[in-house]
Amino acid sequence: MVEIEPFLASIKQLMPSLPITSEPDALQDYTIDGVLPRLVVKPDNKEQVAQVITLVSEHGLTVLARGGGSRMNLGGIPAQVDVVLETRQMTRLLEHEAPDLTCHVEAGITFAALQAHLATKGQWIALDPPDAEQATLGGILASNSSGPKRLRYGTARDIVIGLHVVQASGEIARSGGRVVKNVAGYDLNKLYIGSLGTLGIIVEANLKLQPLPPDERTLLLTFASAQEATQTVIALLGSLLTPSAIELIDAGAASDMSDFFGLNLPTEGSTLAVNFEGSPSSIDRSIDETRLIARKAGALMGDDLTGKEQAQLWQAVREHTRGTVTCKVAILVTQIAAYLETINRVCHDHRLEAAVIGHAGNGILYVELRPGDATPRLVGAIAELRRHAQEARGSLVVERCPVDLKGSINVWGEPGSDFYLMQRLKQQFDAQGTFVKGRFVGGL
Amino acid sequence: MSITELPPPSTTASLYERMSAGKKAEVVRELSDVIGARYVLYTPYDLMLYEYDASIDRSTPDVVVLPANTEEVAAIVKIAARHHVPVVPRGAGTGLSGGAIPIYGGIVIAFARMNRILEVDYDNLRAVVQPGLVNLHLSNALNPRGYYYVPDPSSQRSCTIGGNVGENAGGPHTLIYGVTTNHVLGVEIVTPEGNIVQIGGWTPDAPGYDLTGLLIGSEGTLCIVTKIITRIVHLAEDVKTMVAVFNTMDDASNTVSEIIASGVIPAAIEMMDQMILQAVEADTHAGYPLDAAAVLLMEAEGLRQSVEEQTATICAICDKHHARTVRVAANETERQLFWAGRKNAFGAVGRISPEFYVQDGVVPRTKLPYVLRRVSEICDSYGLRVGNVFHAGDGNLHPLILFDSQIPGEVERVRKAGHEILEVCAEVGGSITGEHGVGIEKQEEMALIFNETDLRIMQQVRGAWNPDQLFNPGKLFPMPGRCADMKQL
Repeated sequence: MVEIEPFLASIKQLMPSLPITSEPDALQDYTIDGVLPRLVVKPDNKEQVAQVITLVSEHGLTVLARGGGSRMNLGGIPAQVDVVLETRQMTRLLEHEAPDLTCHVEAGITFAALQAHLATKGQWIALDPPDAEQATLGGILASNSSGPKRLRYGTARDIVIGLHVVQASGEIARSGGRVVKNVAGYDLNKLYIGSLGTLGIIVEANLKLQPLPPDERTLLLTFASAQEATQTVIALLGSLLTPSAIELIDAGAASDMSDFFGLNLPTEGSTLAVNFEGSPSSIDRSIDETRLIARKAGALMGDDLTGKEQAQLWQAVREHTRGTVTCKVAILVTQIAAYLETINRVCHDHRLEAAVIGHAGNGILYVELRPGDATPRLVGAIAELRRHAQEARGSLVVERCPVDLKGSINVWGEPGSDFYLMQRLKQQFDAQGTFVKGRFVGGL
Repeated sequence: MSITELPPPSTTASLYERMSAGKKAEVVRELSDVIGARYVLYTPYDLMLYEYDASIDRSTPDVVVLPANTEEVAAIVKIAARHHVPVVPRGAGTGLSGGAIPIYGGIVIAFARMNRILEVDYDNLRAVVQPGLVNLHLSNALNPRGYYYVPDPSSQRSCTIGGNVGENAGGPHTLIYGVTTNHVLGVEIVTPEGNIVQIGGWTPDAPGYDLTGLLIGSEGTLCIVTKIITRIVHLAEDVKTMVAVFNTMDDASNTVSEIIASGVIPAAIEMMDQMILQAVEADTHAGYPLDAAAVLLMEAEGLRQSVEEQTATICAICDKHHARTVRVAANETERQLFWAGRKNAFGAVGRISPEFYVQDGVVPRTKLPYVLRRVSEICDSYGLRVGNVFHAGDGNLHPLILFDSQIPGEVERVRKAGHEILEVCAEVGGSITGEHGVGIEKQEEMALIFNETDLRIMQQVRGAWNPDQLFNPGKLFPMPGRCADMKQL
């Protein structure tokens, strides 16, 4: 282990005002999967981040960026963590060019605070990830976090137009720009988004904005079987309607949501929540036609939510992606019903229970497996579920799980044939291993 | 538009010497063994067709090959690597920045034979296509079932999806729906070592780096794409196309800004100025007024109700900014006519000028009035005529500078004016290219928007993927020595 004192001495000398945490008790709060960092620093702007990284790299130490800390346990168990760099001091909205529908903002702002700023001008970032109160913009981008409305608006890769990223060398590099359309040079934004801090630390971002919709409503539909629910999803996707979100909630998840969030969802069969945004007249028509489509597939009921009830439902949906053991499965939409059956069978075989919620229109399911401490059974079940997802042209990532389970599985799955290209990129961006290894795909 | 034979920059020329006759014969023989002699072209007569694209540069390849499948592409790449010969992929040659020009010669891989739709899955909204498929042919195939492929470059009748992926192509309808990168989920590629690798796939959020996102728009410098998995989209219920006529450019520009700021995001907002209108009318007879300063061509689409509301809002904003008339296309025939005028605009300009040079800068939409004024001032100062036809809703300019290469010094003046226009775009916080790519044409201008560090990081990516620089060398990045070479032209 490289000594940390020389680093500490030089950073205190160079940046006397930089907040540094080194007391063991305080560091406990920053533990990642049981790995204790040796120092936490809290820079105030991108130049300070650059200085810190330069020093870290000169001293041969490792650094891990942290925003609000809501997704720190995503990925494999980290190797050595010397320095945690917390970005939460960097909260400035540098520009909000409202008439251009763009903004330029520091990465440490919480997503909720940023949205509140933008809302004062009737705009928003069309992304609805979980934990918006705690998660920072930088963390959301680094972990490519998204929510139900990705059906209509896409994900961070469709919304980010520029990034400022501190490199392993401590240099600040820009990619993209400030305008909504831009093909100058390689699209490195895509590379940084979702790279979990393994290539650089996102310190500022330029984003595309949307006008807040004039109105929105959510229709709840219940089906006796997942098959009927899936049929309805396919019919909706093939219709003229443009829902913003189509969420599938299985009986297990509906029961949780009723217990924890006070929502009154039917706890048998499968529920679909279909959200429409736009003008009242187009929403009216969309809801009517959705009912017709759903009725053909045998929908049992159809409540229509607005206002507070609606907000509460979607809040519950977003937060339900965060159980003790939660797998994110991406499969073809047409395979959803069959996959849900597979989940039931696998859980039965391994004496587990599942609660599933999913962005059905995108073919993304969040599968919570219980009990979260049944490590040996979970290992077997996850392997089977992953194999089935891959057979449906998809993937399974264990997004959340306890450390001992993490030690027994590969949360990302085995890397594919394109992995050597990813390794080469990592080698070019961070040959020395300044950014903490072990968490990303293949241990990158 | 080809006017200038481009000498390879002297600084790096030694890396890629033109093949000797003996070496060329050997390469041709090896290639013929793999893909059949009839698909290997190497005589000057056969090669001439492949020395240009729709930009103003030109350079002849040593060999052109027309592979039938991915395995043949991989075999070609391996032969090229063994002989240390550059490889340049080519779709339909409609690119506007020189992406398909083999500036150091070498092998051009033309995808004319790999032009099939391999699979369409309507329930999952996916299509799998080969790179040589013509863009419009995909939508044509999907239309009977009510679906289409969104990105629609003006050259969509001839450009290929592979070329679109290489350049991250846009088009008029990308304002709400996004450009190529927003519609491609995965690609099959051949790497510089000749490996066949699957990137991304049918489902989103594949674990690992978003290599699909990195490769789209990499202009053939990182890999050669041999298969593409795209999203397909349901056709909208209703489409309304509007034409608004303005007496000043400022009124038209301010209308664009206000429409965007109002919260209405139409499917398209295109602007044409007087010079373009006159050219278009002579060519297409779409009914555009000849004396107007600018026309906006706008489209709202979606559900009938929302289209009606959007149309009303847009018309009101046009009126507020002194539109002389606002006309809504009465039927599909009239709508097609309006669009034909716009999509044929580049061709129509050929009627009034022997040659033109098109720029592709992007600016924040609120800066349009200022930038358009500067564009005409710059062209005036060089004694050049300019017309503007562009994607106003995105702030993506397309000034067409007219010229005649027979007039001594004119090409040089055109290049200088183009450079100054991009300087203005950069000054106001914009980009040097919105959809045409950097290619050969805008290498120098990369330095207007990226500093040395930014560029080195990008070079680093190229180094990781394409260490021997055999894939489309001499593109994308500023190169020492280029300026001097250009000045000699």
